[in-house]
Amino acid sequence: MAIRRACIIAGGMCQWGLREASYLDMAQEAAKDCLADIPGLKPKGIDGLLYASTFVGRRSCQANTAPVVAERIGLKPTSICARVDVLCAGGSTAILMAKGLVESGTSDVVMVMGGEKLYTPERWQVQYDEIASVDHDWDGPQNMGPPPLLFAMIAKEHMKHYGTKRTELADVSLANYDYGLSNPKGQFQKKLTLDEVLTAKDIAPPLGLYDCCPLSDGVAGVIVASEEKAKELTDRPLVYIRGGSQASLHSVTANWPGKHLGDWPHMRLAAQKAYEKARISANEIQVAQMHDCFSISEIIEVEELGFCPKGEGGPFVASGQTRLGGRIPTNTDGGLLSCGHPFGGTGIRQGIEILKQLQGRAANQVAGAAFGLTHNLSGANVEHTIVIYGREPVE
Amino acid sequence: MAASGIPFLEGKYSPTLDIWPIEAKEFNRIYWFYDNLREGRFTTTKCRDCGHVAYPPRVICPECYSDKLEQFDLPKKGKVITVVEKWGGVPLCFKAPLIVAWIDLGEGSPVRHLVSRIINAPPGQTKEDDEVQLAVFDVPAHPIEVGQEKRIVERVFFAFEPVKK
Repeated sequence: MAIRRACIIAGGMCQWGLREASYLDMAQEAAKDCLADIPGLKPKGIDGLLYASTFVGRRSCQANTAPVVAERIGLKPTSICARVDVLCAGGSTAILMAKGLVESGTSDVVMVMGGEKLYTPERWQVQYDEIASVDHDWDGPQNMGPPPLLFAMIAKEHMKHYGTKRTELADVSLANYDYGLSNPKGQFQKKLTLDEVLTAKDIAPPLGLYDCCPLSDGVAGVIVASEEKAKELTDRPLVYIRGGSQASLHSVTANWPGKHLGDWPHMRLAAQKAYEKARISANEIQVAQMHDCFSISEIIEVEELGFCPKGEGGPFVASGQTRLGGRIPTNTDGGLLSCGHPFGGTGIRQGIEILKQLQGRAANQVAGAAFGLTHNLSGANVEHTIVIYGREPVE
Repeated sequence: MAASGIPFLEGKYSPTLDIWPIEAKEFNRIYWFYDNLREGRFTTTKCRDCGHVAYPPRVICPECYSDKLEQFDLPKKGKVITVVEKWGGVPLCFKAPLIVAWIDLGEGSPVRHLVSRIINAPPGQTKEDDEVQLAVFDVPAHPIEVGQEKRIVERVFFAFEPVKK
């Protein structure tokens, strides 16, 4: 029997930001944009739906979301119809699950969507609801739900142990906002200056406004299909989902697995496993989408993914290594900082950008990119999810 | 309340929006953790079979899956490793500034670190290496229904506070 392989073949998203729309309105817009990317595919050609969302239960009072979405977007799934709840990594988790469903023969063509309606009619709930995003009985009452305080501590620890500078944090924001200028569907298209970053309103020092991704409404979708179906449906170069991994070593912050808060062994473990599964090393990855929920995150992520030695993420970013022409162009569509972060939507948006990069049609194209990577962290930095894509399948 | 959009829920308790744990023994097998807090004790569970100390407290040992667990007292004092403050975007349940620290409970403690709010401290005063101690406080009570009976359950929780010099 021939080996079944999973490809990502199309992607689309609605406008992200503060939207005058419900999550179901946005799901319909994203589905339309996704299928516009692949004219050969109609809703009746899709046999599965995965919908990544964590807060739809709280903010839109909807449990068992997938059939509701499926009906609105004209799908009648016969292989899978399920919601995936992994907070900020829901989208990339759903892509990994779709890979398994396709490779196992359970599904042939899966619509993988993700997104959130985070803005509530009264704004108090936007912050308050974050108590549900961490271990409720232990970290919730310590205000670990809204993440700025945890990441401010992470930034201070990284500065203390490795000498990372405030301006190096700013360099992450400057690079990603620059990439975001050419992404009209992202939340911001703003030319940011160093002075603006350094004098912005404090959120939790050392993190200011532009070191933190915004809260966003938004939905995105991709199509994951078997190689055989992909060849029928598109003439574009095939992009294979080569491998991935999700690692979770703790939940309560007291059980943090690192030597200090700037040390992320759970991310190193996820990276190591993902590289093994994709039969590839960090050296071969040419473009990456990382979880820049905060500027400090991307600095630590380039280290833990193996793009630079541990502790050198600050100078690595400051020297332009994440910009076009640098070692690893990162967040080439603007990342979370500029596009926004409707939790379950983010991994899908990242998948769309890697699809475009590997097909040579990205706005900020990395010349000749053949291997790309996406990374998400979720909750109080308790899970790391990595997906590796390539123009060639794993042999 | 009529403008809240859900007038028929006035006076009703909904755990969906409650930041604090449901501590009542009818709903939680580690209710004793909170009883111990009331007595000023900061406790968790130790496995009688393999000796593993787990935090937060469990009903099984996560190492050997034994359910023979005993209560274990953790240090009530620690040192601040890193401290941060937040003035804006503070959830309704807390007052600004929120002070949160990564605390070292000491080399001898099987639970070496934890994150806690720092309370009873003026803003800007808590520094690295400061000594802090367990602080227990009341949190809002809520009703529970047990059979036909409805009663009110008192609750406590904990944070850390500066040790007075």
